[in-house]
Amino acid sequence: MGYKNTARDIVILLGSAVIAAFTVNYFSPAGISLVGQWDESKGVITANAKDDAVVVDLEIDDVRIAKQIYDSGKAVFVDARSREDYEDGHIKGAVSLPVGQFDESINTFRGQYSTYSSIVTYCSGRTCEDSHRLAHLLLDEGYTNVTVMIDGYPGWESEGYPIE
Amino acid sequence: MFDNSRIELAARWILGITFIYASFHKIIAPADFAKILYGYDLFPGVLINLIAIVLPFVELFSGLALILGIYPRSAALIVNGMLLGFITALSINLVRGHEFACGCFSSDQTGHTSSVELLLVRDIIYFVMGLQVFLYGRRRRACIFRSE
Repeated sequence: MGYKNTARDIVILLGSAVIAAFTVNYFSPAGISLVGQWDESKGVITANAKDDAVVVDLEIDDVRIAKQIYDSGKAVFVDARSREDYEDGHIKGAVSLPVGQFDESINTFRGQYSTYSSIVTYCSGRTCEDSHRLAHLLLDEGYTNVTVMIDGYPGWESEGYPIE
Repeated sequence: MFDNSRIELAARWILGITFIYASFHKIIAPADFAKILYGYDLFPGVLINLIAIVLPFVELFSGLALILGIYPRSAALIVNGMLLGFITALSINLVRGHEFACGCFSSDQTGHTSSVELLLVRDIIYFVMGLQVFLYGRRRRACIFRSE
């Protein structure tokens, strides 16, 4: 059967696949780093792609800190999830701004909240990047004070904080 | 079955096209695929990205090798190796009752038990096709490098 030949051919096929894989990944705009951040205790999980939305500096990683901001009444909480999810339950007083419908909704939002507003975005937790993406969109719109509450609605709800 | 050259060719083409098609979304959006791998709850974090980078190209190259007839026996072996991996991963999560997205052909986030069982059946059928190609003993049709 030619096991030596088969083995050699496997090495050739696999070897060229591996070389192509790392080469394409290196040059692709969607390429990911060799090691991702997959530990939820450290923050939102991410593959660390070149076109990634996750920026650690924007993150609030403790719900209680977010609650303090909430209590001060100085920030508006913005829900990045779909309207259906928002209607099923959201942080009390939060505004719905689904990241998928940003372009349609941003003008209304801007009318109500000036770019000087303090904004805290959230979505469904540490496996969700939407709140990061919304934060970037808002920053691009000219908002300067935007943070991301990474534990999202589930984290808020499980602490028994105000919802509606 | 192991002697029919038309069946062998059909098996090579079906497997080849399937694996080439399966590789596309993973090459275009590796971050999404990596996230799906994370959802399987099977792989150590340090390996997830490496698998997400390499696996799609192994699928693509072995699929191409099968269609073009380049080292078909080796390509079939690689494909069956991958299928064994998929079958194992799916079975473990089926037993766990774990809801997750397969990630086979798209980034769809739907993980229902009945569809996992269907996926297993499908993978087993592919595996048998791969065996066909691997064990075939005669002259293959439309094959560039026989290398038996």
